[in-house]
Amino acid sequence: MAIFRKRAAPAESPGNSIVVDGARKATGGRAKNRVVMTMAVFFGIYATIGGRLVYLGMLDPEESGGPASRVTASRPDIVDRNGEVLATDIKTASLFAEPRRIVDADEVIEKLSTVLPDIEVEQTYHKLKSGAGFVWLKRQLTPRQQNDIMQLGLPGIGFRTEKRRFYPGGETASHILGLTNIDNKGIAGIEKYIDDQGLADLQASGLAIAKDLKPFKLSMDIRVQHIVHDEIKQAMERYHAIAAGAVVLSVKTGEVLAMASVPDYDPNNPYNAHEKDRLNRMSAGLYEMGSTFKSFTTAMALDSGKVTLESTFDASRPIRIGSQTINDFHGKGRVLTVPEVFIYSSNIGSAKEADVVGIEGHREFLHRLGILDRMNTELPEVARPTEPKVWKKVHSITVAFGHGVSTTPLQTAVGCAALMNGGYLMEPTFLMRSEEEAMATAKKVIADRTSADMRYLYALNAEKGSGKNARVPGYRVGGKTGTAEKVVNGRYSSSVRFNAFVASFPMDDPQYIVLSIIDEPKPEKPGMGATAGSNAAPIVANIIRRAGALLGVKPEFGHESGATVVSYQ
Amino acid sequence: MFRTSDIVLIAVMVSAAAFTYKIKQDAEDRLATVHKIEREIRFEEDTLDLLKADWSLLTQPSRLQKLSEIYQTELALQPIEPHQIVGLEELPSKPVVIEDLSNQHLGGMAESGGPDQTVTGAVVQ
Repeated sequence: MAIFRKRAAPAESPGNSIVVDGARKATGGRAKNRVVMTMAVFFGIYATIGGRLVYLGMLDPEESGGPASRVTASRPDIVDRNGEVLATDIKTASLFAEPRRIVDADEVIEKLSTVLPDIEVEQTYHKLKSGAGFVWLKRQLTPRQQNDIMQLGLPGIGFRTEKRRFYPGGETASHILGLTNIDNKGIAGIEKYIDDQGLADLQASGLAIAKDLKPFKLSMDIRVQHIVHDEIKQAMERYHAIAAGAVVLSVKTGEVLAMASVPDYDPNNPYNAHEKDRLNRMSAGLYEMGSTFKSFTTAMALDSGKVTLESTFDASRPIRIGSQTINDFHGKGRVLTVPEVFIYSSNIGSAKEADVVGIEGHREFLHRLGILDRMNTELPEVARPTEPKVWKKVHSITVAFGHGVSTTPLQTAVGCAALMNGGYLMEPTFLMRSEEEAMATAKKVIADRTSADMRYLYALNAEKGSGKNARVPGYRVGGKTGTAEKVVNGRYSSSVRFNAFVASFPMDDPQYIVLSIIDEPKPEKPGMGATAGSNAAPIVANIIRRAGALLGVKPEFGHESGATVVSYQ
Repeated sequence: MFRTSDIVLIAVMVSAAAFTYKIKQDAEDRLATVHKIEREIRFEEDTLDLLKADWSLLTQPSRLQKLSEIYQTELALQPIEPHQIVGLEELPSKPVVIEDLSNQHLGGMAESGGPDQTVTGAVVQ
């Protein structure tokens, strides 16, 4: 403007107006107007461009990629006692498309099908042509597939990461670990327990960040768990049973080292997890445990002080009570000592042992051992044992050999652990626990003397009695069989059985309880027996043979020792 | 016309602007690098998680058992038997062998042959 004015100023001076006027005429006279107009036009053009640039710069880029990814909360890893991963979160990618941005649907489908051969062409085509903003094409791809699709470089498709729970062991420990739902919330087993311990609140407040969550350590040993799972699976096939299960429990701490029940499910694909048949029979199944209960009857009689190992009971005649007759399976028809009652598994002898204590005393003893109360442990799937409302004489007699009350196999194992470890009842746990911690909460339920007698009886039964098939050279196994008849149409059937075997080893200082169950076993080959000694006991023997060393029990041969294999060449 | 002080001020202003621009540019570059590294860390962490899961999958006892059964002919692996486990104190002690040392040359003065060549003051000539 200043320059403009400078030029204009001389023109208006009156002294040389003619000359200037002439000059102005010479340049056309309308130059000023034209310059102003040209400037205005250019200014307008540039202002429009500038304004548009500012507008575009302020504008947020168009939302791309559909809805924000679903917040799936993180969960801590679950590891076994040696730190092996049992459950972990993995990120998976899911493929989506934005049909509006897709240029050529045919090309996209053609290229995608080179990576995803199972993609449905017609359906995908309709999806891509729908004009919607966002469609899922395929959920939960493997990292390789994701990489391959990225290499294709297709416009209009993208990935969302989602968290998913992964169980490397598959069905090996499914009943202990439990399950999570699609939102990564625990709905069964230890997964549910973790949520109840405060993880659910953390997730709700958005504080559950993957990095801050420490691995959750279990008392389980994945190697032993595998052995148990493998053995019961084989046993179920070998004996044509409808179900089988086993548990390995530490006698000194109450830790569960392994527990499995078949049939089970794969937690990575739990489509059948809710079938009634696939429940965890060890803690959520109620059974009449049969002759394994004679352990408790004998311990009760010995603990009352009225019976010693030298006491005798007349088992020569059956007991008649009401319309029922109590008889022996392997009847000896004579007077039996307490150890004989135990190793011949005499129903009559056991009933008479219970009679010494009395009905109320019997009931009280089983409650003291926690056999008839709901077990208190971390797993949510725990059944409540059943017992008669009012105990009569007949109940006491039948309960003495394990009929008439139902309890869970895991509880039976816990009760037996108390008989073995000097009389300390410890609640079973699936988390790590030291011996001191266990002793701090343990309850003394029977005298040291009774426990020592029970150890003797267990060892004797494996040596001379029904538990011979459970013997493993070097590991000094002792145990008790249990063959219970199942109720069919309201009557006990002699052909349909529920077998159990409870064992402890090594008997000179018991460290572990191994309890196996097998439901409705048939003879392995026609003509062979189907009692607990011929199917439940070998399961235990196999587990101990394979897992003994892993459990840290040193084989000792003592007097039966032959030459060791180690020698100098 | 422009005075010297104006020129100086303009120069200062221009250089200040240039300096600010450079710092801003550098900061943005750094920030971009940080984001890139953070992305890489996240990717590495995810990969670690995945590899851990993979490792645990590959070392599953059930898988190892299956593999050892399949390659039984080559590996000839057997389950360990209780009598194969022994403690240190149960190992038979190594038999004691007395080596005959009487025929060995011992070396030293006895075999060097005669007195030393070097004569020292302590030896009476």
